[in-house]
Parts: sequence; C-alpha cells; structure tokens
Amino acid sequence: MTQPDSFPAVDLSNCAREPIRIPGSIQPHGVLLAFGAADGRLRQVSANLADVFGITPEEALGKPVGQLLENTPLSSQIEDLRQVRAGPPKKFPKLSLPSGKSYQLLAHRSGEVVVVELEECPPAATPSPDIHALLQDSLDRLRAASAEELDAVAAQEVRRITGFDRVLIYRFDEEWNGMVIAEDRNEHLPSYLDLRFPASDIPEQARELYRINRLRLIPDAAYQPVPLVPPLDPETGKALDLSFSVLRSVSPIHLEYMRNMGIPASMSFSVIQGERLWGLISCHNHVPAVVPFGIRTACDLFSQVYAVQIESRERSADAHRRLKLKQCEARLLAAMAGRENYLAALAEQGRDFLALADAQGAAIIADDQLHLVGRTPKEEIVRDLAQWLREQGKEEVFATDRLADLWPQAKDIADSASGVLAVSISSLHPSFVIWFRPEVVQTVKWGGDPRKPVEPEAKTLHPRKSFEMWKEVVHLRSRPWQPSEIDAARDLRQSIVGIVLRQAEELAELSKELERSNKELASFSYSVSHDLRAPFRHIVGYSELLRDMEKEHFSPAGQRYLDIIIESALSAGELVDSLLHFAQMGRATLNRRQVDMNTLLCEVIAGLESETAGRQIVWRIADLPPVEGDAVMLRMVLQNLVSNALKYSRQRHPAVIEIGAEKKEPGMITYFVRDNGIGFDMAYVDKLFGVFQRLHRAEEYEGIGIGLANVRRVAERHGGRAWAEGEPGKGASFYVSLPVTEP
Amino acid sequence: MSAPLKPILLVEDNPLDLELTLSAFEKCKLGNDVTVARDGAEALDYLFLEEERPLHEMPVVIILDIKLPKLDGLEVLEKIRQHPKTRYIPVVMLTSSREEEDLVRSYKLGVNAFVVKPVGYKEFFAAIYELGMFWGVFNEPPPGFRKRG
Repeated sequence: MTQPDSFPAVDLSNCAREPIRIPGSIQPHGVLLAFGAADGRLRQVSANLADVFGITPEEALGKPVGQLLENTPLSSQIEDLRQVRAGPPKKFPKLSLPSGKSYQLLAHRSGEVVVVELEECPPAATPSPDIHALLQDSLDRLRAASAEELDAVAAQEVRRITGFDRVLIYRFDEEWNGMVIAEDRNEHLPSYLDLRFPASDIPEQARELYRINRLRLIPDAAYQPVPLVPPLDPETGKALDLSFSVLRSVSPIHLEYMRNMGIPASMSFSVIQGERLWGLISCHNHVPAVVPFGIRTACDLFSQVYAVQIESRERSADAHRRLKLKQCEARLLAAMAGRENYLAALAEQGRDFLALADAQGAAIIADDQLHLVGRTPKEEIVRDLAQWLREQGKEEVFATDRLADLWPQAKDIADSASGVLAVSISSLHPSFVIWFRPEVVQTVKWGGDPRKPVEPEAKTLHPRKSFEMWKEVVHLRSRPWQPSEIDAARDLRQSIVGIVLRQAEELAELSKELERSNKELASFSYSVSHDLRAPFRHIVGYSELLRDMEKEHFSPAGQRYLDIIIESALSAGELVDSLLHFAQMGRATLNRRQVDMNTLLCEVIAGLESETAGRQIVWRIADLPPVEGDAVMLRMVLQNLVSNALKYSRQRHPAVIEIGAEKKEPGMITYFVRDNGIGFDMAYVDKLFGVFQRLHRAEEYEGIGIGLANVRRVAERHGGRAWAEGEPGKGASFYVSLPVTEP
Repeated sequence: MSAPLKPILLVEDNPLDLELTLSAFEKCKLGNDVTVARDGAEALDYLFLEEERPLHEMPVVIILDIKLPKLDGLEVLEKIRQHPKTRYIPVVMLTSSREEEDLVRSYKLGVNAFVVKPVGYKEFFAAIYELGMFWGVFNEPPPGFRKRG
C-alpha cells in the first residue's frame, strides 16, 4: 500500500532515527537509580539524586544500593528489588521525605541492572478517589455500550478516570495514518474528532516501543531533561535501555510537537489487538499534570478491556458479513452447478454476484465469452483490463481501490471502475471474474497538512506548527475492498476452478468411454464381417450343389423355391457387405492427397458403361477443380452420384446429366451432379441420406439404399457435407461440399 | 511316371466351408493331395513337428483362413515366414471378408495372395479352381522344393 499521493518521502526521519529507548536522560519529576542485579552496587543515577537522597551522584556511585536506602522503609526490601523482572515496573512502597514530598517507588529489570525509579507523587491535598470503585463503574459502562457507542464511551470513561481535558481514541489505518474516531473533552482544548494524522507523526520505532510498553507519560512538555551519570554503564559501556521506564525522557521533536499542539501534559495507552498496535487512547491536558500510579494502572487495565471489546465487536461484525457472503456464494454455486455454461449462469445471478463483493458492476471474461453485469466499463476496456491483469503476474486475487494509480487508462473509467477486485479463473487463458466499484470522492480532514509534516528551519527539522484542519479531496478512489470480500472472491474462484476441473474430468471420462465403445464397435464389426457372411455363403453354396446334383428330381415349383432361396441368401450377403463397407468407411483412415476430380470422373463414367450402353444421354460436364482428399472414397462418391443420376433418368430420352463445381461458401468447394430424372419430393429429403432408406419400391429401381449414406459419410469425414434438391418429375441435384486447403 | 505331387495344405476350421472347398478341389481334378489342418496350431504341427519331413514333402501351397481357433491365420503366416524351412512356401489367405486391417497385415507379413471367399458357389468354385491351378500346377517353386522326377 502506498501513502496518499504526493506525500513527501522525507518525513520526520530525524525522529525515526531518535534513540528513543536510550535517551540517556529522564524527565525531572523523579529520580532514577540503576544498580547491578548481581552485586547490588550503583552503576548509574540521575543527576538530580540529591533532591531525594541529599548526596551527589559521585558520592553514591559504586556503593551498594542498600547503603543509599538505609533508614528508609525500603531497606528491608533490597532483596525483593534485586529479584524484579524485566517488563512493566513493579510497584514498591512510597517514600516520604521530611520536606513533605513523597515518591512512588517503581522497579524493573533492564539487562543486567535493576532500574529503580522514584516518581514524585502529586500533593495529597485532596483525598484520592476510590480508584477501584471508579474503574469498576467505568468497565461496567464500557461493557454495556453498544458496538456503535463503544469508542465514545471509552473516551468518556478514560477522561472520567484521569480528569484530563481531552481524551482521543486514535486508530491506525493500514498505512499507519492515524484517525481520531472518538473524543471526549472540555472547553480547554479544541476538537480533533475525525482528523487524520500522517503515519510519520508516530514513526515506526515509536510504534514498536508503544507495542511492547503500553504507557507513555509526559506531565510537562516544557521540562528540562535530567541526564544520567555517568552517561554509559561503566561495566558494559552501553547506554541504559529505558524502554519500560516511566521517567524516560522523550524525543525533543515529540516535545516540540506537543507544544505546537498546545498540550503541556499528555499520557497515552496502547490498544493492542493480538500482536498489532490497533490504536491509542491519548489523554491531553492544557496544564501540566501528574498522574498517580494507581490511575495509570486503572487506565491501562481499562484500555486492555477496551481492546478485547473492540476485537469481539470486529469479530462479530466480520462473522456476520462473512455469513452473509457465504450464503450469497452458496446461492451462486447452486445456480452454476449442473449448468454447462456455468459462467453464463453466474452472470444471470446479477444481484448475488454483485453482492458477493459489494460491487456496483462485474464482468466475467473467459476465452470465448464475456458477460457484463451492472455498472461496468465498455467491453473493449474490460478486455484491455483483463489483458493488463494478466500481465501483472500470476496472483490469484488482485484488489485495488485506486486502479488509476496502477493503470493510467483507468482515469477514464473512474465512474465505474476506480476500484477493481479480480480473480483469475484459468492459468491457461486470460480468464477473470472482475468486480468494479465506482469513484467515491472523499474529503479527508488532516490534522495539519500531511504534505508538510515538517517545517524546515535552520539545521534541524521541526514538526509542523499548525494543526488547523486541512482538507484534502481524494479522487480516483473507490471504497476499499474488505478482507471478507476479498476472501469471498477467492472462495468463488476456488469453486469455479473446481467446476472447471470437474468438467474436464467428465470430458476425459466421456472420451474414454467413447474410445472404448468405438473399440467395441470395431471388434463387433470385424466379427460380423467374418462370421455373418459365412452362413449366407453356405446357404448359397449348398443350395447350388443341391440344384446341380438333383436337377432332374425337382418339380418346376421346387426349382423356383430353390432359386428364391439362393437369390435371397445372395442379397442378404450383399446387404451385409454393404453395411460392412459403410462401417469401414467410418473407421478407415483417410489417405489425403491432391485428387484430380476430372480424371476420377472420366474413370467412373467409363466404368458405368454397362448402364449407359444403348441410352440417349446428354452429358454436360464442367471442369472440376482438384481437391484434397481420399481418392478411393471420392471415387465412390462420384460413382454413387453418377450411377444414381443414370438410374433415375432411365425413362428420359434424352437423359441430361450435368456435373460441375462451384465456390459458394469460403473455404469450401461444392461439386454437384444434376439429372432430369424422376426427382423426389423435398418432404423426404432427409430420408435420402439414411442407411437402407429408399424412396422407391425395390422392383422399380434396383439397389439397397446405402449409396447416399456412404456419400454423406465420406463428405463428413472430409469435413464437408452432402445434401440434395429435387422435385417429382423434374429431376434432382446432389451436392457435396469439401473443404479446400489453400496452397 | 512322375513322382507324387506335393500336397496342398488347407487350414480351415469351419466344417461347412471345409466341405465346400474340398468339393471344389475335387471338381478341379487336381492331382495334388489336400492335407487339412483344423486350426493354426495343427497347421504348425504339420509343418514343424515332424523334423524329418523332407523339403519335397512340404506343401506346394498353404491355404489359410484368417479366423482360426488357437493361433489365427496371421500368426501362422508369421511363423511360416520366420522359419527357413517354410519361408518360401506360397501362402494364400482365403478368408470370409475383406477387412482392410487383415489385408494390410497379411501383405506386411509376406502373403502371396489374398482371396475373399465369394458368396456364390460358382464364383467360389472358380476361385478355388484358379488357386489350385495356379499354385499347384503352374507355379515354379524355388530350387530344392522342386518335385523329383
């Protein structure tokens, strides 16, 4: 994700480089001691040691810590001090001085030293409130708050606990910009509600520190830091890590930032969700303020409960959204299931299809189809977009709320497609399901101009001085896609890919099935060709033997019966042969080569001499262009057509037979044979090309009715077709079109 | 006085076809004996099992059906062409149908002729007659196969 446009690359990099964990100094509202956990001897102290203990750092350093704390209530707890662990400080008894000042003692481990902090307590003029009861009440109110009012209640309650002038609920976005989503304040400080702050205001290293240490406290931004003496640990030579120190001095840039905002005192608590810094509860006061340990602890506890509440709120909202999307997806799948063109089925479910990604428009683009639903760019642009998406790489899911930043062409389609969510549904073809969201022109209110987070001055950088609201109008953006919507798109993609796979499997299964049944058919017809012919041969053979042998003994009727038996068996054998021939033509491999149709026709006509002899025939033969095909099969085609023309024009004197070729459709050449014979009724044209279909009685015209079936089969096997036109008594025309391969 | 003619080996499983074929040979009045094998294995036994069968007693022509029990005609043909003793004996496929696949495989294996049994008896008779005359009488066998006398 990128930052808002024209955001400066150079931000408070000074601040980002600040050694915030090892500042080498503390704030002046307390005293710090660091002693070796092993030997108990003081290694580093804050320069203001004398304020509490009346001796200089030089006098104290190297001495056992027990000596320094002698005659205090702590002298008995030296051993406990040595045992403290790293992390948030542990509270020890207060230390009251004769001067009337009292100090809260806190200790934690940092490396091999124990850090003891004595934090000045506020004057105990007013009796401190019952912090436990107050916290209990606040937590009750927080738990009772609805999802919508949760943040506002949190701000109110923290202000009630702390008594600060203004409490902000500050939430980070994906890019670490902050936005004030709730606020509670009095008249002392202005409202920051709805303002945004650039990510550079809280640099990454600060965010990381905030993540591990939930509390920051600055009672007075005008403080003078108190250095540690000596600056480095004399044993290790390293600076003291003050990550968990409550007195830790903060970056001078941060102090300047606070002063520019007009807030002398601030305290903030991190709101952590899981491992992530979700936001901050930020408390500001218009005058310096010291916050007792108990109140801080209460606020910390409160912020942790708040974090849990937010998480459950977001989870339940997310669960609700996801449930709705799942139902939507289920309806889409039901619509797609069982439909061969499942993508068209998807497009027909317009409302659910759009709802799945809460989009205003959607497109499905696959190799041979394109469906547009709702508000989308024009078809050509969707195709361009698909091409561009394909070039972006192999990601399954692509989502952006600012397409124009990535694909400049998208500026023109902002009203339909400023945001795009796309899933790739094929790794072979540029096939996508794409959802579109239109431009939403937004006015973003920044706390100061985010483009000027720093004001260049002399040598060092300074944070901006103006936190006056600065408005930015954002164009060419859509509403961002939610993770739940992106997941729903991914799930749908998964389902589509599943359907594709299933269809491919079914297809493979089907072709296996076909292959098997083809094989079965081949072996069936092989057996038939061998076994079916034999009995007919035997009938004929033995009948003829019988006739030859017993000639004289047969009556004329017996003789006739025997002849019928022989004739019938012969024609049955012929039927079997024709059928087998027809089957063979479907199976035999095509032996394709250039065929000279003129020569072929001459041979065919010559071969039909027995049928033409003694007849009056007018041949009108045009030049036939050559074609690529199986010569044997093509010869059979001509043979059938010419022989038919001769047969059915038998009663014409003269018979006129016209043979030619024409180019009617691109890539095809059509040969025709026309006669002036008895013709046929177009009502029966479909029967002409069927196997064993005849339009005339057997005794009128000989033949078994398989010739034209063969013609059609040959045409189809060559990638062409065969058809006929005719009229009773006027003649018939038969056409065979074959594909021409351009040289 | 000429030496006895070398036999014709007829491999045919169908008894009706066998009878028709034999009666056709009878009508041809060929001098050759006709030896019958009823399946592929029997044909191979006749050709190879009796080691001492001299070359001149080998058949003058082998007439093979394709569809046979046990070993089919094409397998028998393959064995015949592999063995030096039988490599040069003319083989004629006499089969029920003109299956393109059978035709191609037969010629690949080195068949000398491929004859489809005609349905009509007269045609069938004519075919057998021509077969017997051509292969049994007119064809000159390779040297060593020559009949004595």
